[in-house]
Amino acid sequence: MTHDTARGLAAAYVLGALEPAEETAVREHLRTCAEPHDEFAELGGVVPYLAEIPGLELVEPPASLRDRIMAAAAADLAERRAATPTAPAGAPPAGAPRSTVPFPSAAERAERTGRGAGTLGWAARIAAVVAIVVLGGWNLVLQGQLSDARAYDRAVAAVIDAAGKPGNQTVVLTPTKDGRGAGIAAVTADGSVVMALRDLPATTGTQVYEAWVIAAGSPAPVPVGGFTVGPTGTAAFTTQPVATPPGSTIALSLEPSAGSTTPRGTIVATGVSTAPKS
Amino acid sequence: MNSEFGPRGRVASAADDADRAVLVLVAAGQLDALQELYDKYRVMAYSIALRITADASLAEDVVQDAFLGAWRNASRYVEGKGSVKTWLLSIVHHRAVDAVRRRRPTVELPEREDVPPAAMTLPDIWPEVAGNLDRAEIAAALTSLSDVQREALELAYFGGLTQQEIAIRTGTPLGTVKSRVRLGLLAMRRALIGDVGGGDGGNGEDATGARSSEPGGGALA
Repeated sequence: MTHDTARGLAAAYVLGALEPAEETAVREHLRTCAEPHDEFAELGGVVPYLAEIPGLELVEPPASLRDRIMAAAAADLAERRAATPTAPAGAPPAGAPRSTVPFPSAAERAERTGRGAGTLGWAARIAAVVAIVVLGGWNLVLQGQLSDARAYDRAVAAVIDAAGKPGNQTVVLTPTKDGRGAGIAAVTADGSVVMALRDLPATTGTQVYEAWVIAAGSPAPVPVGGFTVGPTGTAAFTTQPVATPPGSTIALSLEPSAGSTTPRGTIVATGVSTAPKS
Repeated sequence: MNSEFGPRGRVASAADDADRAVLVLVAAGQLDALQELYDKYRVMAYSIALRITADASLAEDVVQDAFLGAWRNASRYVEGKGSVKTWLLSIVHHRAVDAVRRRRPTVELPEREDVPPAAMTLPDIWPEVAGNLDRAEIAAALTSLSDVQREALELAYFGGLTQQEIAIRTGTPLGTVKSRVRLGLLAMRRALIGDVGGGDGGNGEDATGARSSEPGGGALA
């Protein structure tokens, strides 16, 4: 399917109103074409609002539905846990990611348990990861930078793993008005923050991204480590441990050089640490 | 509503941040987090499923499958660009449409993953809009559509019909239906973007001027 043909079908595609063969062809095009597909994003953005068309009667589902869902989820979780190896015990060295073995990506874990999205195989799931980055406008060459996509996927999995441990907090990092960069992070028991970040402009020269913790109740940002970013715009980083109570702000700044004790550069992204509801 | 966003399209609002933090915990296998997500979105999810399937029992199955899908695939979406709400309701919509199509005599379903991955669920391109539009404003946006455009969109979205099926159902040429779908969606988008300038106290002036004329360039970041 040509690029122009696909673009012309964008409206029908985002509505799910194409014939099956056409929809598959467009999906395949999106997966493999490195050109931008602005129409899909623009028109796709409208579709969710159709769901809120006034005149849609709001109906409460029966309570039993919730019970069924939770029971099914619990069963699914038990199956997953039975099938995957447990993470190594013991505290990792300071600054290292939580697991001392490479944490399998979500796709790899799903493959191992024989579960996962739909009936597509491993190749299609890799393709889905690549599709994520192609649509992100990164224009990756499929072969060469697949490992970067997988590495990022592993970084996300590490954050999820840390966030799930009792007592740990979750952080969602979003760009500031002047900044770029977003990601997720988890604050671990010793106060170090495990992060997976994307959309960061690459650092040049002596530039570094510095992470800061502004603990709730204390106004001064505490530097907790820095890192550089290459052309993929992603970063996996674990900060030094520092007291990070719930409600602390985690901030990222782009510094002209390393070693700042207070942010000098632009703060590009921030998030607030939240404890899970218990 | 506290909302800030950078130039590259990631939805950033307090509401979505909260959802995303919950989604991280869902991805980590925390049942409490799934329960929280369910309790927040169960009415919208069920209402959409019921409207599309017109069958309470089937609607329940659709919602159950959708939340199970979300449960299994949360780790693939925590870094998704659109809002968690959009992702979740898209899963519901897809499954409801599939369920309806399966009921029909000649059905050939496209090969879809059970849950659209982040790539196939498109970003909300108007971060300041997310959560800021109420149903009245959406209703107003819909008045900018012609009746036949609105009918085509409703048949596609809620009816789960393909363009060909809409053509048959309404007795219109296929080319006309395609045009109504496309122009209708475009018109709705223009109307919704226009509303951003009106309702939002903080961003009023900037939004009307700069953002509505901005091409969707930031959206794909």
